[in-house]
Amino acid sequence: MLALEHRQQIAEPPFSARGRGNWQAWGRRILLCLPLIFVGIFLVVPLGLTVMISFWERAGLKFRPAFSLASYVSLIGGARLDVLQRSLIVALEATALSLVLAYAIAYFLARKVEPATARIVLVLFTVPFLINYIVRNVSYTVLLGRTGVVNSALMAAGLTDAPLDWLLYSDFAVLLGLVSAYMPFMIFPLFLSIGAIDRQYVEASALLGASPFTTFRTITLPLSLPGVFAAALFGFVGCLGESAVPIILGGVGYELIGNTITSSMDVLNYPLAAALSSIVILLMLLLMLGWYLVFDMRSFLGRILEWRA
Amino acid sequence: MNPWNVNRRDAMRLALSVSAAAGLGVVPRRAAAAGTINFADIGVGDPGGDWSKFKAASGYDVNLVSIGNAPSAVLNVLVASGGQGTYDVINIVGGMQKPLVDNDLVEKIDTARMPNWAKDTYVDEFLGKGKPGFQFIGYKDEIYGVPTVLQGDSFAYLPEKTGQLDSYAALFDPKWKGYVALEDNYTTAGQKTALYLKKAGLANIANPDDMTKEEFKAVTDFLIDQKKKGQFRVIWNSFEQAVNLITSKEVYVIDCWEPMVFVAKSKGMDVVYADPKEGYLLWAMAAYLVKNPNRTAEQTDAAYKLLDFMLGGWYGARITNLRGYMTNPQAATYAKDNPAEFPADEAKRVAEITANVRRKFEQGGTWQNRWPTEVEFYESEWSRFKAA
Repeated sequence: MLALEHRQQIAEPPFSARGRGNWQAWGRRILLCLPLIFVGIFLVVPLGLTVMISFWERAGLKFRPAFSLASYVSLIGGARLDVLQRSLIVALEATALSLVLAYAIAYFLARKVEPATARIVLVLFTVPFLINYIVRNVSYTVLLGRTGVVNSALMAAGLTDAPLDWLLYSDFAVLLGLVSAYMPFMIFPLFLSIGAIDRQYVEASALLGASPFTTFRTITLPLSLPGVFAAALFGFVGCLGESAVPIILGGVGYELIGNTITSSMDVLNYPLAAALSSIVILLMLLLMLGWYLVFDMRSFLGRILEWRA
Repeated sequence: MNPWNVNRRDAMRLALSVSAAAGLGVVPRRAAAAGTINFADIGVGDPGGDWSKFKAASGYDVNLVSIGNAPSAVLNVLVASGGQGTYDVINIVGGMQKPLVDNDLVEKIDTARMPNWAKDTYVDEFLGKGKPGFQFIGYKDEIYGVPTVLQGDSFAYLPEKTGQLDSYAALFDPKWKGYVALEDNYTTAGQKTALYLKKAGLANIANPDDMTKEEFKAVTDFLIDQKKKGQFRVIWNSFEQAVNLITSKEVYVIDCWEPMVFVAKSKGMDVVYADPKEGYLLWAMAAYLVKNPNRTAEQTDAAYKLLDFMLGGWYGARITNLRGYMTNPQAATYAKDNPAEFPADEAKRVAEITANVRRKFEQGGTWQNRWPTEVEFYESEWSRFKAA
């Protein structure tokens, strides 16, 4: 009886609710504006300026407003285009590798482990964020160097006669650095996405006689794709912009796009740095657009995005 | 009252006061500036935080702020971060006059306002007008930098692995293939390579101090060829990284700075800073007077006093002792004559370092050029080397 009364109260709001609803709508709009203003001032405006400056002309050491394609032209055919290409390849490799690892971990945590345990493990995966990235990368050089722990152990165990040079200052080391830097980021969206899949679908698939692999391939994987794409985006964006890993672990001038942007700013070539940055930003935006168009984000972000339906 | 609340509030108050204190330490304060000179430095010009002698003589405090030495870092600090209105003096590796003066960031130095200037015979000897070192402090016949530190760079090696080495050829010797490290810097590693190629007759380079595009391209091509043969293990980017490469014996031959060798030796390493027959990469630090629109005449006067102080014996001896670089001609004498301030071993060290750097300057080599005519081409070629 009490419950019914309560429901009735909600169903029949007092007569002043219309006005209050308006106020609420306005309040909501104003609240929504705050993040929009924040994003506008701190993200859209600087990015717009970056794109604008990439078309500016250099005049001696300074630069002046103009519409010049000089910076973009100097990119084409130069070494920087190779750097961009290599950055894309390395970022793709690292993202793919991280994705496989992160998916396995997230799947295990979401499906095979008690929620309480999963929470603890997830918290542990935030620990890498608490360690300074330089400390993390430098400790790899201590571990993987010619006289480092790993090589010493391998040689002491008689597995190798001489130190393995490819452990450090190599493609391997860069991949290791990138994967360990960004893979933990990728576990979280994957965990959310896999965890949100209705278990009844999986059970139904099993009851209908599908093997676990078929169930995974036809049910779990497709339904977790929004999380996969979100994770891939996190990883890719991070890897493409990374500049410390190649510097510390890359060896002989393992130059990625972040490094070449910094380097061009060393000679005050801001339009060129802006042009390189604009290209990278454009790539990212295209990826975001792809994500937005292809996936229904509600399955990943829940009802926050209900308005889109 | 819930005791937890009190605790939390206290904790927050503590956190706030700590962060406020930290903020005070980092942000240069103009507010207390009636008697403060804001001094930006790359980590070399700090006399262990002791400015008491300057304060006693001038009444002014010094607020030292660390900045990076890369040209972009210096220019960004002055232009983008409003440093021009904040700093009075910046002490960096010299040779930056072209970007600094052309962008109207520093002032001409009136040498008559510094009594110690005339006593600094190094200026006449190495850095004066018409001398190759002039590019470190002067621009278009005018003086813009006060020389604070002088040094000659070569490379280091582990004698137990390589025996004695006396030429930059060691950096490119197939015997040490894969056991060589270079600095990630076209004005040091690039210029040392150019010096070697010129002296060995391997490339036609008129002036390693200021190469043409063709000349620097030849240097880059040579380095890329070496890189592809696997000559280099790594190119380093930081002081600690270079020290670590030496102490872990990751490489045997390394293009580096002498203080790294001092540090490695202090850790018990047998490492030698080479005396190459081709000579040294010579350089000097310069203290520039920032063109600060907020500065009063009294403050400018105090800034000159600081510049003069830095040319003096106590400061010179202190910096030589702390950093291992030659500073000014009064340093060694001052340290010897003031045993209360500099014990005998420190005075001896100052004298030894000074004599050693003097020897390098007399031997010659090439003067590092931080802003060569074709600096942008250098940068893009260096990118090509790194990306190859």
